[in-house]
Amino acid sequence: MSVVKVGVTGAAGQIGYSILPMICSGQMLGADTKIDLALLDIPQCEDALRGVAMEISDSAFPLLNSLKYGSDPREILRDLDVIIFLGGFPRKAGMERKELLQRNMNIFKEQGAALNEVGKPTTLCLVVANPANTNCLVLSHHAPNIPKKNFTAMTRLDHNRASFQIANKVGALTIDVKNVAIWGNHSSTQYPDVNHGTVRGGAIRPAVNDDEWLNGEFISCVQKRGAAIIAARKLSSAMSAAKAAVDHVRDWFLGTKEGEWVSMGVISDGSYGIDAGLCYSFPCTCVNKEWHIVQGLDINEFSRDKMNLTKQELTEERDEAFSA
Amino acid sequence: MFKILSRTFTQHMKEPVRVVVTGGSGQIAYSLLFRIASGSLLGEHQPVILQIYDLPHMQSALKGVVMEISDGAFPLVHEIIASDTPSTVYADADYAFLVGAKPRGPGMERGDLLKQNGEIFVKVGQDLDKFAKKTVKVLAVGNPVNTNALIAMSNAPSIPKENFTAMTRLDHNRALCQLATYLNTEVHNIEKLVIWGNHSPTMFPDLTYTTLHNQKIKTKIDHIWYEKEFIPTVQQRGTAIIAARKASSAASAASAAVDHVRDWALGSNGQWVSMAVPSDLYNGEYGIPIGLIFSYPIVCANGSYQLVKDLKIDEFQHNKLRITVNELLKEKEAVVDLIRK
Repeated sequence: MSVVKVGVTGAAGQIGYSILPMICSGQMLGADTKIDLALLDIPQCEDALRGVAMEISDSAFPLLNSLKYGSDPREILRDLDVIIFLGGFPRKAGMERKELLQRNMNIFKEQGAALNEVGKPTTLCLVVANPANTNCLVLSHHAPNIPKKNFTAMTRLDHNRASFQIANKVGALTIDVKNVAIWGNHSSTQYPDVNHGTVRGGAIRPAVNDDEWLNGEFISCVQKRGAAIIAARKLSSAMSAAKAAVDHVRDWFLGTKEGEWVSMGVISDGSYGIDAGLCYSFPCTCVNKEWHIVQGLDINEFSRDKMNLTKQELTEERDEAFSA
Repeated sequence: MFKILSRTFTQHMKEPVRVVVTGGSGQIAYSLLFRIASGSLLGEHQPVILQIYDLPHMQSALKGVVMEISDGAFPLVHEIIASDTPSTVYADADYAFLVGAKPRGPGMERGDLLKQNGEIFVKVGQDLDKFAKKTVKVLAVGNPVNTNALIAMSNAPSIPKENFTAMTRLDHNRALCQLATYLNTEVHNIEKLVIWGNHSPTMFPDLTYTTLHNQKIKTKIDHIWYEKEFIPTVQQRGTAIIAARKASSAASAASAAVDHVRDWALGSNGQWVSMAVPSDLYNGEYGIPIGLIFSYPIVCANGSYQLVKDLKIDEFQHNKLRITVNELLKEKEAVVDLIRK
């Protein structure tokens, strides 16, 4: 059996609590892969981190090979194969966007520097903590020893949410919906695009037969789903975010299925007129632990406007983050 | 009541099974539902229909959970039903995780806890009796777990007694973890660990038959460690986790629930597991009186379970067993009017 070293930052938080059993029960890397698990969180969360480590041990997962935890990134992030960055600075009431960016920048600058020293050049990184795309850029910038293509941001949750909305509209299962695409920022400017997708093997637009809904309510529903879940649960969508992170890593690591793509925030190579160097969500296929942007998709005017809007937001975020 | 109804395009999977989870908006259910949805329970080729119950005033929170399961894009989840109506929730159930229970409030005596939960589980038993399949496999998770299972079982006379069980798998897994650390080994090298009795401080984690790499360890472990550290640590683990996390051990409880029902349904591969089951099935074996739900060493195969028989019980074990039996008898006495004859 192979062993893969997996790290999780912010492991003492809500998404951490949800994701660790998923990783340890084989959902992420398959039933034949053992896991060396490394958990990082800040010193203030030491007790909570110890508590979650105790519970993971108490679950007696056959696939868990070893478990370590602590608050020193240079110790915990050493020699890992996969790292999921859940830890970031949460938005507090009344906090300006500028301050949120600044505080997160500091976290990801420090972790990038640590990763640069102790990470493998093959380490695959998924940034979940918001603002995910810009945090991903900052992390990559401070870890130049690791190729830029190893740094991604999560838009898989939006992708899964979009797939469900389509499935629900036509009375299908979510897995019957393929190849939606999330373009841009994991924020309210994200653009969920159904123009290239299928439901039950047939194109989505004709199957739904409601362009007004597809161009309007569908998009805003996906964009605002997080808020809707908070309104219902009084807690944020930890489990579905964890599941999306597991899906993102699984497909990156094990490959996407023939004829299918997924949505990933990646550092752009200039495809589709998106400036190289921005961390932007594209439709991607994965093979041999590498992602490839799906090329040649037709972009109509409506889509182009949406894609530009989110590109603009990301450009502003990047400029703000790197001007300080 | 709301429903998310889906039609499957793919025909190659098995027929879905119906899995009930009560207390659906709570912490344990949150962890449990996502494990079930992922296929941890019955494998990656077995679709499920989730039938989730909670009280009327929790339906809004439950709706949020349903939204998240939908957003989870799970291939195996063919339908999600969430309701406060028992006839809907328990309809044709194949499996039932009884997580919902009344927690202990400030100033509440154990007797009150027993009675209030007893009333809940009378109704649960009656609803299972009316609406679930007769083959339903039931696991009580909400505390006081053994007595709750007993009450439900006695109020579901048309369902075979052996279908009602209570969870001591969390204690079992916790004990495995503590022992593995002490022996500097991994949990899968350890076999034949037993949790006897009640899921409470009187539960007895027994290493008499336990092996490491198929060698008995009893003579190799320090008896002082066993009595003064191992047993109390396992018994108080829940409290230790609350102290660290400031929240209770939902994820590991959910994991144990999955392990318990998975092994019951799919077999335990010859391994001993701990399950609290009706002592009526065993006619006084090991000196355990009939009329209780009691945790024993069990092996699962072919969709059912068997007691590990003919184990020798020494005086030390006998005393430990008697303490937990007496506690269960007292609990039963406190709710005797809720147990249907």
